[in-house]
Amino acid sequence: MKRKSELVVPLLFLAAAPLAVYSVQRVFLHTPNERTMGTAFKIFFFHVPMGWLCMLMAVISGVAAYVQLRRRSRTAAAVALASAEIGFLGGLGVMLTGPIWGHATWGTPWTGDARQVTTALLWLVIAAYLLLRHFGQHASERLAAALAIFGAVNVPLIYYAVKLWKTTHPTTGVVAKLPPEMWATFWPGLGALLLVSFGLFAIRARQLVLAGELDDAYVRLEDSRA
Amino acid sequence: MTPIAPPVLITGLVFEAAPAPADGGDYVPAVGTSREEKEILAALEDKAAAKTASDYQHIVWAYGILWAIFAAYGLFLWRRSARLRADVDALRQALDRPAARGGPGA
Repeated sequence: MKRKSELVVPLLFLAAAPLAVYSVQRVFLHTPNERTMGTAFKIFFFHVPMGWLCMLMAVISGVAAYVQLRRRSRTAAAVALASAEIGFLGGLGVMLTGPIWGHATWGTPWTGDARQVTTALLWLVIAAYLLLRHFGQHASERLAAALAIFGAVNVPLIYYAVKLWKTTHPTTGVVAKLPPEMWATFWPGLGALLLVSFGLFAIRARQLVLAGELDDAYVRLEDSRA
Repeated sequence: MTPIAPPVLITGLVFEAAPAPADGGDYVPAVGTSREEKEILAALEDKAAAKTASDYQHIVWAYGILWAIFAAYGLFLWRRSARLRADVDALRQALDRPAARGGPGA
């Protein structure tokens, strides 16, 4: 019989499935076009959640990396790496859907505004962190953790970029000002994305912890036979 | 000379079609809509339809990319799990064989 903790991930995916279907049909069939951007505005309903996911995972990764540095915790190291991987996916989604949306509305995929640049910076920091964790030597884990913390510090900069500098992106209060029919489309989509992401995150973190335990078991086996 | 209207068969009954206009078939405006207005509206409709189709193309691309990214990551995790299971099996076998040496890590 499966333990209760093993049921959490399937339950997350099971809850995400109807939400994803519901949000997709709402995006295409029940959500009105925005007055100035027209149909292309509908990219908003997955571009913004991907951006939020990227920033959330960068913060989780930074906090876990800090705990890893302070306590040398293997679980924290696993959480930092797993969340950075999901954050990288979210960032990749933002970096691809943003230019598609920009091309449709601004007429150019990249305007080089502050929010685009700070988001690209975060994504590159996460990429650097992942490269260090996957290909660096054992000692590079501390440097990687410092990079993850730097990535987390970059998140408020992304959020406030539209207030600090003149940008083509809208201001920070867009989601709060959505009309009810768009609001009803946005939240199920965000919910589905978060449920899937946390499901994948849980699987990956568990894999990393298990891989560490497996390495330890091999070392003990070698020692016992030496 | 006024042309003779041909008979038209509609639902089994024969009606006399309206006679063609004398000027060779030019558009006769409905009340309140000139030919120019109709053409402008049709051009605008074409433009709006093309923009909507293009926008939907962008949306489908964006959505497709997102789910493709997550599907690829799911596949990566699935393969990683398979490798971990294989490593656990290898460790079990190594433990069962007293003389065996250690196997690979994950």
